[in-house]
Amino acid sequence: MCRNHVDRRSLLIGGGVAAASLTTGVAHARVRPQDMVPLVGPGFRPTDKDEQGLWQLMDRAEEEIAGSNLLIKDPALTGYLGDLIEKVGGPAAKDFRIYLAHIPDFNAMMFPSGFSVIYSGLLLRARNEAQLAGVIAHETAHFLRRHMIRSWRDQRRKTDIFAIGSMVAGVGGAAGGVNVGDFVQLAQLGTILSLFTYSRGMEAEADAMGAKLLAETGYPPIEMANVWEQLIGEEAASARYRRKRRRRGSLFDTHPSPDSRMADLRISAAEVTVPGRAYDNRRAQYLSTIAPIRQMLLDDQVKLNDPGASTYLINTLARDGWNGLMRFYEGEIWRLRNRPGDDVRSSQSYAAAVIYPDAPADAFRWHGISLLKAGRSGEARTAFARYLTMKPDAPDAAWVRQMMG
Amino acid sequence: MKNFAKIGLLAAAAFALPACSSLGAGESGFSSFAAVQVKRVSVGDGSLSVVAPRPWNRTRPLGYVDIRVVEDWTLNGPYLDGISFVSGLKNDRYLVYQRRTTSQQVPKFRSNMTPPEIAAMIESLFRVRGGAIEYRTLGIAPRPFLGTNGFQYDYEHLDTDELWRKGRAVGAVIDGRLYLILLDAARSHYYPATLPDFEAIVASAQLRRG
Repeated sequence: MCRNHVDRRSLLIGGGVAAASLTTGVAHARVRPQDMVPLVGPGFRPTDKDEQGLWQLMDRAEEEIAGSNLLIKDPALTGYLGDLIEKVGGPAAKDFRIYLAHIPDFNAMMFPSGFSVIYSGLLLRARNEAQLAGVIAHETAHFLRRHMIRSWRDQRRKTDIFAIGSMVAGVGGAAGGVNVGDFVQLAQLGTILSLFTYSRGMEAEADAMGAKLLAETGYPPIEMANVWEQLIGEEAASARYRRKRRRRGSLFDTHPSPDSRMADLRISAAEVTVPGRAYDNRRAQYLSTIAPIRQMLLDDQVKLNDPGASTYLINTLARDGWNGLMRFYEGEIWRLRNRPGDDVRSSQSYAAAVIYPDAPADAFRWHGISLLKAGRSGEARTAFARYLTMKPDAPDAAWVRQMMG
Repeated sequence: MKNFAKIGLLAAAAFALPACSSLGAGESGFSSFAAVQVKRVSVGDGSLSVVAPRPWNRTRPLGYVDIRVVEDWTLNGPYLDGISFVSGLKNDRYLVYQRRTTSQQVPKFRSNMTPPEIAAMIESLFRVRGGAIEYRTLGIAPRPFLGTNGFQYDYEHLDTDELWRKGRAVGAVIDGRLYLILLDAARSHYYPATLPDFEAIVASAQLRRG
């Protein structure tokens, strides 16, 4: 079967855009967290034929996703995420599975049979465990409120075209394609997910219930609003930089009306916060868990050379304190942007980065290169020597040694 | 991903192109292939010439998104292998056509770039345009090219189609312009199968001065 685009990201994005166009612009009343009760209990299995068919399809999809080599499979990280979804999973806590896809965007999704996929870009953006848990709680809420099956039935009643059979054919078609990897299955599923088209009402429910789950678990529920605010800020910064409207294909397309939603999240957070109770955002635990991949996450983002978004992101993360890693990637943003004066900016950032004890080896290399270009070859040699000491098997060691003379 | 990708752009854009097109056409235009014979041929804007050890196929882009100093060849189709030639990219120019409003930009070339900076520019090209999600630099080392001090850059990347690809670029900055020949191919089989061709082509490369 021939597909015009095998780029999974565009398919996922395409699904999102379709979903947005199907939602209505009708304003909604705020959903109160206290009204949100789970509609499924532990060990939920579908009993009617429709939903059983859907679950069978999702089982196949999950098998494909679980085998994808685009997943990050580090057991420490996946175990951590598994524990998180169990914490905020309410009555279905033990029934969830969660997968971490190596994709630099901010995104997370829940599939109807109770497995979830989150993108690595989310781990970069979360400033603490509470923020990540907030996004996961939102996704589990979709499951607990049975949004997918409700939405799917609603769509089918309206249009009568979204039969299980046609969805199976869709997935089967992707599987039969030439040069189509497993991840296209996920992309295809992204498109399928868009058929479930959460309404604004459902998003509001998931937010309200997410806030409730978060607070019950002992995380500060306001972090859900904070992570949303950060995402709005990043999108705006990226668009502003390029002097255009915000880019398409983000969460906003499936989650409309960002400002009113943020206001609702803040009110809900206040409602579920119990005075006198201690809430912990578990920042230290979060940072130590993602530490082994944090440089990779920053690399994934910064090397996409979207200076507006990346600068916003680094500054947001640095609100909790600058360090060598952040200063280094600040320099990387300028270096890749490469406008007049950016070489000076980047060299200043590298120079600042190497003062911190946690500066990565790469900071010394780029510091050395900027010194070299400034004609300070003696200092450059020192920086290069430090780089080679920190990274004896550096892939560019031969070039660096030549530069050292 | 509404970018106006240069057709066959350093093979990177190919990963986001239609899987089953027999023409390898990009999102924004059409292209066709023409055989490259085993004799000295000019590539790019004509300032560089090479000899291939066996016939390859030149991707002939049509339309206004072409970068004149970049030319792409393939042996088995852009999904599997490709050699790209950059014949004297000027200061402050880009390897690909891109709109200023595109959020994610392939960095521009600067005449004073060192090999690690050129390598980083190529890395961003593959991340931004090729959808590479894992990218590893395997080596950056000095290497003579076109009779001057050039460099060799080896790398590999995992793309969204779940295929690992591997590449080697040999280049030099001469009179402020970037000259580069780059092989990028599926890591299993196609890279080792086309590397000898690539090396022969690099060894045959000559600059046309004047």
